[in-house]
Amino acid sequence: MSVCLHTCRVLSVSLPNSVVLRAFLTRSELKMVSPAIALAFLPLLLTLIIRYRYYFVLLYRAVLIRWVRDCLTGLSREERAFQYILTHATPGDAQSILDTFDHWCSTVEFISNIGPKKGKILDRLLQEHCPITVLELGTHCGYSTVRIARSLPIGARIYSIEMDERNAQVAEKIIRLAGFDEDMVELIVRPSDEVIPRLREDYGVERLDLVFMDHWKRCYLPDLQLLEGSGLLGEGTIILADNVIFPGAPNFLRHVRRSGLYEVRVHRATLEYIRGIRDGMAELTFLGVK
Amino acid sequence: MPRHKLIASESDVSIEVDEGKDNEFSLYYVEVEESSKKGKEKQTTRDGRRRRDKNGDVSRRRASERRTTEGGNKRAEKKHERRQKTARKEGEKHGKRQRRKNADEEEAEEESNKEKKNIKNERTKTLKLEDEKEKDVKKKRKKRVKNEEDDGSSGKTKQKDCHAMPMKEKEKKKKRKKPETTSESECKSESESESDSDSESKDNQAVGVLGSLTPEELEKLKEAVEERKKLIATLKGKPWPMKKKLVILRESQEFVEKYEGALGKGKGRKLYAYKVMMMKKWMKFQRDIENFKTACIPWEMKIKEIESHFGSSVASYFIFLRWMYGINMILFGLTFGLVMVPEALMGKPYGSLPRKTVPREEEASAMNFAVLWDFGGYARYSVLFYGYYNNQRAIGWLKFRMPLSYFLVGVGIVAYSYMVVIRTMARNANEEGGGDDTSFNFSWKTFTSWDYLIGNPETADNKFASITTSFKEAIVEEQESRKDDNIHLTRFLRVLANFLVLCCLAGSGYLIYFVVRRSQKFALAGLENYGWWERNEVNMVMSLLGMFCPMLFDVISTLENYHPRIALQWQLGRIFALFLGNLYTFIIALMDAIQLKRVEEDIVKKNMTIWQANLYNGTVPDNSTAPPVTVHPADVPRGPCWETMVGQEFVRLIISDTMTTYITLLIGDFLRAVLVRFLNNCWCWDLEYGFPSYSEFDVSGNVLGLIFNQGMIWMGAFYAPCLPALNLLRLHVSMYLQCWAVMCCNVPQERVFKASGSNNFYMAMLLVILFLSTLPAIYTIVSIPPSFDCGPFSGKNRMFDVIQETLETDFPPWFGKVFSYASNPGLVLPFLLLLVLAIYYLQSTSKTYKRVNMELKKKLQTQNEENKKKNKLAALKAANELEQAKKAGEQRSNSASDLGVNEESSNIDEAGEHRQAGQNGHFIHSSQTQHTQNSEPSVSSNHTTTRPPPSRGHTSSGHLPGHPQPQKNSHSNRR
Repeated sequence: MSVCLHTCRVLSVSLPNSVVLRAFLTRSELKMVSPAIALAFLPLLLTLIIRYRYYFVLLYRAVLIRWVRDCLTGLSREERAFQYILTHATPGDAQSILDTFDHWCSTVEFISNIGPKKGKILDRLLQEHCPITVLELGTHCGYSTVRIARSLPIGARIYSIEMDERNAQVAEKIIRLAGFDEDMVELIVRPSDEVIPRLREDYGVERLDLVFMDHWKRCYLPDLQLLEGSGLLGEGTIILADNVIFPGAPNFLRHVRRSGLYEVRVHRATLEYIRGIRDGMAELTFLGVK
Repeated sequence: MPRHKLIASESDVSIEVDEGKDNEFSLYYVEVEESSKKGKEKQTTRDGRRRRDKNGDVSRRRASERRTTEGGNKRAEKKHERRQKTARKEGEKHGKRQRRKNADEEEAEEESNKEKKNIKNERTKTLKLEDEKEKDVKKKRKKRVKNEEDDGSSGKTKQKDCHAMPMKEKEKKKKRKKPETTSESECKSESESESDSDSESKDNQAVGVLGSLTPEELEKLKEAVEERKKLIATLKGKPWPMKKKLVILRESQEFVEKYEGALGKGKGRKLYAYKVMMMKKWMKFQRDIENFKTACIPWEMKIKEIESHFGSSVASYFIFLRWMYGINMILFGLTFGLVMVPEALMGKPYGSLPRKTVPREEEASAMNFAVLWDFGGYARYSVLFYGYYNNQRAIGWLKFRMPLSYFLVGVGIVAYSYMVVIRTMARNANEEGGGDDTSFNFSWKTFTSWDYLIGNPETADNKFASITTSFKEAIVEEQESRKDDNIHLTRFLRVLANFLVLCCLAGSGYLIYFVVRRSQKFALAGLENYGWWERNEVNMVMSLLGMFCPMLFDVISTLENYHPRIALQWQLGRIFALFLGNLYTFIIALMDAIQLKRVEEDIVKKNMTIWQANLYNGTVPDNSTAPPVTVHPADVPRGPCWETMVGQEFVRLIISDTMTTYITLLIGDFLRAVLVRFLNNCWCWDLEYGFPSYSEFDVSGNVLGLIFNQGMIWMGAFYAPCLPALNLLRLHVSMYLQCWAVMCCNVPQERVFKASGSNNFYMAMLLVILFLSTLPAIYTIVSIPPSFDCGPFSGKNRMFDVIQETLETDFPPWFGKVFSYASNPGLVLPFLLLLVLAIYYLQSTSKTYKRVNMELKKKLQTQNEENKKKNKLAALKAANELEQAKKAGEQRSNSASDLGVNEESSNIDEAGEHRQAGQNGHFIHSSQTQHTQNSEPSVSSNHTTTRPPPSRGHTSSGHLPGHPQPQKNSHSNRR
């Protein structure tokens, strides 16, 4: 098939030129598949390219550019983002830092933060519920941490869990830059499945009011089950899971719908910084164990 | 699957209630009428009736208790204990009855178990309420009974009554006796504990002084019954959950049935019960017939199911498919019955003629599957193709005119198709032609969309889903109509899209042209030297382009941002152009092939004479009288027979097209759905929502596939009589396959819309295709001489010569003369002119009618609006008057309290009228109805709060709108 698609492209370029075509034909008569049949696949190829163009854009921005820049600069993507923010944002101003982040992500490179549009949903939830204890799984660069922290009431506390050491360093710098101290934000650099069972003993958490999930999509379900087992979830606890449709966490959604422990709402949106790819955030309200 | 998600929330409401309830109401009414016609009651029967009433009451109470026993075991045990206590009280006499009673109860329980189980709680609640009401009634009755017992006459009358009653009722009474006692004891305790200062009972007594006791009691009952009826009537509008409605409906129906029965009497009652039963049976029978009728329409259930899930646009495809199936049925009947079967039965058998035999050089491979699959070998030399038929004028003992029949069937197929398509188009146009029907779209949908003929819970579910879908469609349409965007940008994008599509069309046309040229080159060089790919290149390329280009068009059409229905039409038009291009390139290639074959034929003809000469010269000595040499028909050289070749090409095209469709269906839809469904558990992103997702049903592509398929049938049916049969098979299979595929692996379109308007669009396209496909067929028939050694027209100069031949030989000579005169241009031209004039006249008249229709409609609308305005004014006026009357009334109210009763009786009819006009539930005081006759219900209902409603019963009881009779009767009865 790939050969045939290749010939398609070649042919489409050389169609007007009959000499080239003739030469090509004489060559292709040796093969099994005739060029005309291969050419008939051209519409399919075009259709696929046009229909899934956003995915190609995503591939280009999230993988290719990152790879090139990694090679060129020798810094990791997160460190580059931090450099940009350090030079462009106002220290101590959370909004400025978030804006700069959005700008960098939408024009320079791609980092899968929660993004401004889905961030507004998060903001609204925070304003409605005013949580005191927040658990964030997957700090990454600290974008969502800053976003949550700036709309929390005084005395509230965020436990932010990040597995990767380098990311955590960047995240800490960004959080400090935004003006949040250790009383407000507690950054825990360990895998989430180790931390969750020990939250009660090590950190003295009694009840979580809001859990924000934005780490590995595969870990959504096991971590949720750990949280259920730990007894940290109380009635009315909100669990917000990002990217449940793309890249998607089908098992997580299935469990949540079937277990009957939660009231589920899926907010439909598009993927952050890229138009045209559908995504969603799942908002679960813990109804309590019956 | 996403579809399940979609329906899950809707499917738990079951709508079984609506089965012809209205009719039952009317029945109840008749019953009330009859009972009231009986007039005043006789003193002797009164007590018995009361007793029966009480029995009914009690048994009803019993029934309610029974139901509550289902609710919880504890309660059931308690009841049982109580029952046993009472049984002990009753003594051994009632032992047997007790047992019977239990048996009855068991039966009842079985029945009620069939009903829904999850509604018991609510049921008990409502029952409690009802029980309290009934207790009140009982209390009063109790009192009266006591009084009468003092008189000491009641026992005898009761006995008399018992004798008078039919045996069945006696039995019933016996059954009821036992529970009665228990409830009586309960009632006693209650009546003792509660004081008699109820306002209602006071009123009762007050009126009781005026009239006799019995009518009052009757009225009380009637009131209760009518209240129930009212409840049943207004139940649909109540803002309750469905379960509660169901429960209450069942309760009230039971109640009404029991008491209506009690209100009748003796013989008349029995007759009446019989009548009612027959009525019910008859109605059920009618309903069954209706169901049977729908069951008789082929695939109706399937299509309805699809419609409910996917909206009317997908359903319209399937309806179109069904319609097409019907037409092909008739085409098949024509070709099969008039051409293939006579030839097979009466024609010369296989092997008798050269044209009916496989030639010697092909014999070895004639039975190979590959050859048969290509419709060569034995398949080619059979009734399936043109070449097999003999040019003998009449065959068999019936003297069946085979060539004539062949020709007429060929013409008849086309003529019939034209007729059907045009007739359908005209009918559809009739349905459409009304113009502006969209003004009250949502009201129409809200109030008229339920189908009351539905008798099947599953269908009801589907209807529910389909109404929901239709609402979605309407809302989407409304949104579309209100949207306004940047016009210049959209225009530019639309032009760009059309440009891209044109490029695409040109590209595909060039590709097909190129392939056809190449295939000719292959054909000249001899196909045997090339592989399968080269031989089937044309077909492959055509089907691939037909498959992929629509996808590309679909993607391009997202640029245009049309309303989905318009987008669908554009899409249809584009695919139409593509397919048409493909088809015509194919036909042109075929024409070339025909020319080649004809050249070959000439050569064969020349060789033939040489061959014959050689045959005679070589084997037979000169001047011999011996019989001519017999040569085996397989050895006779023969022409290429271009007609069979054309038929074969079409059959092959149909087969490959069908195969492509099915394979695409299986791979593109089914395999994809399976992969998405089962790989989703172990994939890193969500396959169902994300990249591959499930496929949507492609309406436009499928419809066009169908239409072009039909076009090929029309073109090829003359040369291959087997084509309609093949097509019938194909349609049949694809009906089932696509129904299955659509339900199992497609998801509803994201933007649902209704496609009722596009039906005629399909028809128009079909008509165009029909025309375009008859053109080449007619051209070949008229202008190319038939082959010399195959087919029913061999030896003739043109195919239509068969008509002339028939005219000359089979009809009397005068007929031929008449015909020749009639075909004189001097006659034909005026006739044509007349036809044109007639068409013009009819067209202009139809236009006028349309305009008149529209004007009438407008007139009606304006009249309606005027009426509305008038009513509003009247209402305002009435409201003002009411205000004044209120003030006046308040002043008067103290002095004129006695007058109220008289006024009431005089104004009752007016009140009744008014209530019919207004809402059911509101009570209007009679003294004010004079002023509020024309006012709107809301005004009057406001006003009622100022004065307490009068206590008297039956005026306040509910009446169904449009049934004034019972009220009048009851009124007269009271007087």
